[in-house]
Amino acid sequence: MDKVKKALRFLFSMQFALVILGLFVLVCIGGSVIPQGEIQAVYESAYPGWSGLILATGLDDVFHSWWFILLTLLLCGNLLGCNLLHIRPILNKMKQKTRPLPAGEDGLVFSGDPETLLKEMGFGKWEQIDRGRYAIRNKIGFWGAWLTHLGIFIIILGFALGQMFTVNYTVYGVPGEEKPIGDTGLQLSIDDFSIELRPDDTVEQYTASLTLKNPATGASWSGQASVNHPWDANGLRFYQNSTGWAADMAVYKGEELIQTDTLCAGEYRAVEGRPELLVMLRAFYPDYTQDETGMPTSASGSIVDPGYLYMLYYNGELLGMNVLRADEKITVSDYTILFSNPRSYTLIQIKRDPFTWLAGVGGAVLLGALFIAFYLRTEEIWLMEEEGHWRVYGRSRKGSLLFREKLAEKIKEGTK
Amino acid sequence: MNFLLVEKIFFYAAFGLYAAAMILFFVFFALKSQKAGKYANLLMTAAFVSHTLALVVRGIGAGRLPLTNQYEFASSFAWGICLCYLVFQWRFHFRAMGAFATPVILVIIAYAALQNKQVRELMPALRSGWLALHVSTAIISYGSFGVSCAVSAMFLLREKMSGSEFWQKNVPEGKKLDFISYRAVSLGFLFLTMVLVTGAIWAEQAWGSYWSWDPKETWALITWFIYAIYLHLRISRGWKGKSAAIFAVIGFACVVFTYIGVNTLLPGIHSYA
Ligand code: HEM
Repeated sequence: MDKVKKALRFLFSMQFALVILGLFVLVCIGGSVIPQGEIQAVYESAYPGWSGLILATGLDDVFHSWWFILLTLLLCGNLLGCNLLHIRPILNKMKQKTRPLPAGEDGLVFSGDPETLLKEMGFGKWEQIDRGRYAIRNKIGFWGAWLTHLGIFIIILGFALGQMFTVNYTVYGVPGEEKPIGDTGLQLSIDDFSIELRPDDTVEQYTASLTLKNPATGASWSGQASVNHPWDANGLRFYQNSTGWAADMAVYKGEELIQTDTLCAGEYRAVEGRPELLVMLRAFYPDYTQDETGMPTSASGSIVDPGYLYMLYYNGELLGMNVLRADEKITVSDYTILFSNPRSYTLIQIKRDPFTWLAGVGGAVLLGALFIAFYLRTEEIWLMEEEGHWRVYGRSRKGSLLFREKLAEKIKEGTK
Repeated sequence: MNFLLVEKIFFYAAFGLYAAAMILFFVFFALKSQKAGKYANLLMTAAFVSHTLALVVRGIGAGRLPLTNQYEFASSFAWGICLCYLVFQWRFHFRAMGAFATPVILVIIAYAALQNKQVRELMPALRSGWLALHVSTAIISYGSFGVSCAVSAMFLLREKMSGSEFWQKNVPEGKKLDFISYRAVSLGFLFLTMVLVTGAIWAEQAWGSYWSWDPKETWALITWFIYAIYLHLRISRGWKGKSAAIFAVIGFACVVFTYIGVNTLLPGIHSYA
C-alpha cells in the first residue's frame, strides 16, 4: 500500500511534471525536424539506413504515435493529480482569517498611523490579532497556478476529443453545381462564387454563396463563406479553402453532341461509351502566353486569351497533349472534343468538431489564470505593536521584492 | 506624401540612434562615466520615438498594422524589445541594462534592414483581426523575453565582476536582477500564451484547424514549455540565480530560433510570414 502511495505521489509530483515537460520538448523538436507523414523513400533518402527504424517507432508521425499519446496522458494525470492534492491546502489557506508571522524576518520599524499605512499598501480590511493587526489581499492569487493547470487540462481534453470526433469533408465545384457532402446525406449547392480583385489585380477576397440542403427533411440553410469568415450551419462549419479554374468540356461523335461535363483543372473524364479514352484538363491559362523557355503560362489573372492544356490517354498511354486556344478542338477518330466557358471553381472545406468550444474555454481559463498567477499575487502584512512603534512584516510569495520595496518606501514616508 | 521615403528616414535614424546609444552604453561601462549612461538612455528614448514613427508612417501608408512580412515583423520585434526595456528600466530604474539590450536590438534591426521593405497587399487569409492580435502579442512577448535574457546576461557577468565598485553601484544586486528576469519571463509567458491562443483562433477561421503541428507552431510550443520549466524549477528546486539565468538565456535562443530559424530551416504554412 505504501508503495502504491509513494508511486502515486511521484506521478503527481512537480518533479515528474518537469520530466514530462522535458520529454515534450525533445519530442516536439524531433517532430519539427524530421519531416512528418512522408513515405519510406523520403526517409531513406534523408536518413539512409534509418528509415525502417523511423517508421517502426512512429517518428514519421510523432504527434499521433502511441508514445506521444501516453506522454499526454501522463501529463493529464499529473496535472489532475497535482490539482487534486492542492485543493485542500488552498481551501485551508482561503479560510484562515489570520496567518502566522513569516519566520526568520526582522520586520521594519514604523511609527506612523497604521490605518494610513494599510490603506496606502492597498489593504482595505484588517484583522485584530494578538498584539497587532493582520491584513491580506488578492486571496484569489492562491488559485492562480491551480486554475492555470485546469486550463491546460481542458485544452488538452478539448483537443483530444476533437481529434477523435472531428469529421472533415471537401466539396468543390462551380456555381450552379450541387454535390453530396461525404456520407452525411446532405447536399451542398454552390449558388455563386466571386473573386473580388483590387486595382492592382491582387485578390481582396474569395466568397462562396452556399445552400445546404437536407433532402430527407427538406430543410435548407443559405449563407456565405469567405476566407477568414467561415459559415456555420446545421452543426457544420464551411470554409472557403481554395480555388482554381474549371471549364466545360463538350464531346461530339460526328455531328452529334454526346456528352457535356464540367472539369476542374487536374480532373479527367472518360469519353461516353469509351472508358479507355480519357481526357484530362491539365491546366488552364486565362491570358495565355509562353515564358522564355517556351513553357505555357498566363500573363494575368483575367480571362483575355484562354488556353486549355489537355492530355489525352488511350488505355493508360499518353496519346497527346497540347494547349487548345479559343476555337481549336481535339479530334480523335470520329470524336471531337472542345472546351469552353472557363470559370473559377471553389473548394469548400467542411468540418464538424463538436469540441472546439471546449479547447476555447480552456484557452480562456488559462489566460485568466495566468493573469491571476502573475498579477494578482496574494499579499499579506502584519503590524505588531511594540513599545512606542510598530514592527511591520510583509509577504508576497512571488512578488516579494517589489512588495517589500514598496513597504519600506511607505514606512519611510509615514514614519514621523 | 511618399510614405516609404519618410519611413526609411525614421527607420535609419532609429538604427543610427540605437547604434550610438550602444556605443555610449559601452563607454558608460568602460570609462565608468555616468554622463555617458545618461545620454545613452536619452538616445535610446529618441531611437524609440523615431522607430515608433517609422512604424506608424508605414502603417498609415499601407492602411494596416505593419506586422506581416519579415521586414515589418523584425522591425517590430526590435521595437518591442526597446519598449519592454524602457518599461522595465522605468519600473526598476537601472540604466546599465541598456548595455545588454542595445546589442540585441541592433542585431535584430540590422536583420530587418536587410529584408525587402516594399509594402505588399495582403492575401485574404492574412487579413484578420486575430492575426493582428497574434503578431502584436508576439512582439510584447518576445520583447519581454529579450529583456529577461539581457538581465540574465548581466546577472551572469555580475558574478564575475563582484570586485568592481562600478558594477556594485550601477547594477542592482543579483537578487534583484534575478527578480527582474523572473518578472520579465512572467510577462513574456502570459503574452506567449496569448500568441498561441490568438494564433489558434486565427488558424481555426482561416484554415479550419486550430492546431496542426506546423513547425512554427511546434517551436512556439517548445518555447512555451521551456519557460514553463523555468517557472517550475524556480518553485520546486529554488532554481534561482545562476541556473535560472542560464535557462532564461536558453529560452531566448529558442525564441529567436522560432522566429528566424524555423522560417529559414524548416518548412510550414508560416513560411510566407
Ligand atoms: C504544460 C504544463 C504546465 C504549465 C504551462 C504550468 C504553468 C504553471 C505556472 C504558470 C505556474 C505559476 C508559476 C509562478 O507563479 O511563477 C505554475 C505553478 C505550479 N505548477 Fe505548473 N504548469 C504545468 C504543469 C504542471 C504540472 C503537470 C504540475 C504537477 C505537479 C505542476 C505543478 C505546479 C505547482 C505545484 C505550482 C506552484 C503552485 C504555487 O505557486 O502555489 N505544473 N505552473
